[in-house]
Amino acid sequence: MSKKPTAGPALHKVIMVGSGGVGKSALTLQFMYDEFVEDYEPTKADSYRKKVVLDGEEVQIDILDTAGQEDYAAIRDNYFRSGEGFLCVFSITDDESFQATQEFREQILRVKNDESIPFLLVGNKCDLNDKRKVPLSECQLRAQQWSVPYVETSAKTRENVDKVFFDLMREIRSRKTEDSKATSGRAKDRCKKRRLKCTLL
Amino acid sequence: MKEFDDFNFSVDKYTKELTRECVGGSDLQQRKKEIEAYNEQTSATLKQTCKKNYMQFIQTAKEISRNTVYVHTDYSLLQSIQPILTDLESEMYQLSHILIEQRNILATMTDGKMSSQLKANDSLEAAEANAAAATEDVENSHATRAVKEMVQGFNGNLEGKTFLNEGALIELDGNDYRPIQRVFFFLFNDVLIVCKVKHDKRLEFLTEYDPKKIAVINIKDLDGVKNAINIITPDGSKIYQSITAAGKSEWIEKLEEAFRFDQQKKSKKGQAPQPPGRTKQQQTPSKSTTPEKLQDQSPSDAQPKSLEDETPEWLSTASEELQTLVAQRHFEDAQALIKRTQDFLRQADRKKLPQADAIESKVKQQEQKLTNVLIQELSNSHNRNLQIALRAARRPLKILVEMGRSRQASATLLKVCTVSLRVAQREARRNNAEISELFFCDLTQVACDFLSAFEQQPACVSALVVWCNAELQYFASQLIKHYLTKGTSLEAVAKCVERVRKPATKLTEIGLDISYHLEGLLRTTLESLIEESKQRLLDAVGRTEESWQPYNLQTKSNLKRLLHELDTLGIDMRAQATGDTWLNLTQSTLVFVRQFLQLTEYCGCLAKGEALMQSLEQLLRDLFLAQHALKPPSDLAVDPNFVMKNKVFLVDNLLPIAIDKFRQISGRQCEMLRELHTKLARQQGAPLPRQRSVYTTDVF
Repeated sequence: MSKKPTAGPALHKVIMVGSGGVGKSALTLQFMYDEFVEDYEPTKADSYRKKVVLDGEEVQIDILDTAGQEDYAAIRDNYFRSGEGFLCVFSITDDESFQATQEFREQILRVKNDESIPFLLVGNKCDLNDKRKVPLSECQLRAQQWSVPYVETSAKTRENVDKVFFDLMREIRSRKTEDSKATSGRAKDRCKKRRLKCTLL
Repeated sequence: MKEFDDFNFSVDKYTKELTRECVGGSDLQQRKKEIEAYNEQTSATLKQTCKKNYMQFIQTAKEISRNTVYVHTDYSLLQSIQPILTDLESEMYQLSHILIEQRNILATMTDGKMSSQLKANDSLEAAEANAAAATEDVENSHATRAVKEMVQGFNGNLEGKTFLNEGALIELDGNDYRPIQRVFFFLFNDVLIVCKVKHDKRLEFLTEYDPKKIAVINIKDLDGVKNAINIITPDGSKIYQSITAAGKSEWIEKLEEAFRFDQQKKSKKGQAPQPPGRTKQQQTPSKSTTPEKLQDQSPSDAQPKSLEDETPEWLSTASEELQTLVAQRHFEDAQALIKRTQDFLRQADRKKLPQADAIESKVKQQEQKLTNVLIQELSNSHNRNLQIALRAARRPLKILVEMGRSRQASATLLKVCTVSLRVAQREARRNNAEISELFFCDLTQVACDFLSAFEQQPACVSALVVWCNAELQYFASQLIKHYLTKGTSLEAVAKCVERVRKPATKLTEIGLDISYHLEGLLRTTLESLIEESKQRLLDAVGRTEESWQPYNLQTKSNLKRLLHELDTLGIDMRAQATGDTWLNLTQSTLVFVRQFLQLTEYCGCLAKGEALMQSLEQLLRDLFLAQHALKPPSDLAVDPNFVMKNKVFLVDNLLPIAIDKFRQISGRQCEMLRELHTKLARQQGAPLPRQRSVYTTDVF
């Protein structure tokens, strides 16, 4: 038995968040297995792992697909703690799910205590553009306010599915290299920054 | 009262049964009296038996002492009496022991009865709840005792906790997923006890967690690690593996139950007065309010004429009755009632039925509702297992057909089947199972069930055909995506296609001919795969390095093996063997012979479908030509006769066999190879008619 952890490919931990039924699992399964699952079955908390090639380097992605349903809200903190990056998903056909992203964002920031945690705002179901309830401008505005990227996806047509996962992994990777390079001074800097923001608030 | 004598008599069980049987407190009181009487009677009998035994004992003792006096010297007699004495003594001891035990049992029984009686005051329900609570209590105390007895080093208090689950799991390393240790979980409503399983199977307490502070993740995909869950605890994330998939899902469920335990209890209490069926019932009256109002109006209009009202009672209540029947899910009865009402209204004299119109419209509404419910039922019957789905669909289907809603029903049924079919395929694919067979079996099954349900409806049958084509399209796309990917070897392609074609042709037996459509769907992909294989094979031929020397197999057995292998492929090369280990051809010729015959087999398989014929023939021809055109480099000194010999062998021996083989497998003539043969044979100089007769079996 080897006691040392094997120095395998880098592992990036991604968490899918968002209201129930917006397509978190569909996006995950499309990314994992290239297929669109139509039958809806609420998720509790499922995890997946896959080896992928990110810009020529082999890495592992760990996807935690969480429950969107309200009744799991209390336990979310526990899941969020382990995440290194978040895909915050809503459905462009459901305004409520868009409003809920605000709450998810706040909870993540509270748990991770980090304003610049890798984070993507994802508007799913863009194949149903004719049933759109959330105007594109509003989505972009919110992303701008949070200073995060906004991407529209379709788990059904696979549009932008790889993009959101890979973009997020890139952000996570660059955050990790930045962190490992960071001197103690820089780390302090960031602390200061954060404190400044807090006082502003 | 006989139960008391039963060896397996259990106080708890008896009490439970008693409370279930008795109606009301007075009955229980009566039983109590009876038991008490029995108690007294038993103890009296016991006392008597005891006294009798004791008396006997004394008498025997007296006799013995007397005997000792008289037969003072008879030692042997004394010795034989001694065991009797000991026996008697032990019997006495046992008796008193039994007596004590009996008394205890009776005491606990009366106690237990008293307590349950207190609770079971006047309602039977309360008694039953009590019984359920009792089993729960038993389970709890059982688990609590197990934890106390078996787990070393645990001294927490488990009083008043509800036991939820226990079981063995394997803890895995978070990095490389190797097993670290065997663990055993005890889950109570507010504590999860984790123990280590030691080598002597004993349990050692490791740690405990509050189920409300841990998060459970179902690991769906982790480098082939099966049945694993991830538990995020305050001291880090841990991976546990269950032996079975069922065990894993049970743990996920139970841990969630523990997580929600307090909420659940509250909500249970809150919901208790509202049975789950209530929502439905609520809907029914609210819907029926409008028609009822209508009804209220119409009688007032019809009042003056009410003298002639001959509406039978069952008819006027039909609508309400239908509501009840639908709510109770007696769909057949509901349908029969609708039919009866309609028949009656059609035949009856409308003038004598002032409410006829109102009733008719109401019944119509109910019919619509019944249809909706049945369609709903039908669309809910989808299941991962097609058989189950079809079986579940049968009942609503039958009624819907009788109601004349075949079209709606067939569309819904096919939708349900689509889901089952695709889910099954996906699962089979993930488990590396055979998907072609599965698909066609499922298709057949759907078709058979469908035809037997809708045989009389031509419109529905054409819906089935359309559906089959759609499913076929999906299946073909999956096949192309997952099994006929770029770079698949011809062998795998041939096997895959063969597996699809066989069952497809079988479907014609039930009147479904989908082969042609299927060939069409796969054609482009197969053609490009053949083209790709051709390029690859040609490249390989071009790269061969040849010394143009006879092939030395080094050992006799090697030679024998090769000859045997070629023999099974259909070519006899024994004539070419010279010496013990030599073959009088080059190595590359032999390799090519083997490869070409194998390819002919695969191509023959694929060529069963006419569409691919041309590209397959081209592949074989081009490959053969490439090999045939191989020339020794100019700087290499070789025997030109030997080079020629190889070429002649290819044309005269290999080619006819390949042509024949192709025809045998595919049932088609490979014209291109035949032309090639004629051409090459002519090039080689005067072909002898005798040679031709070897292979020309066909009449031109």
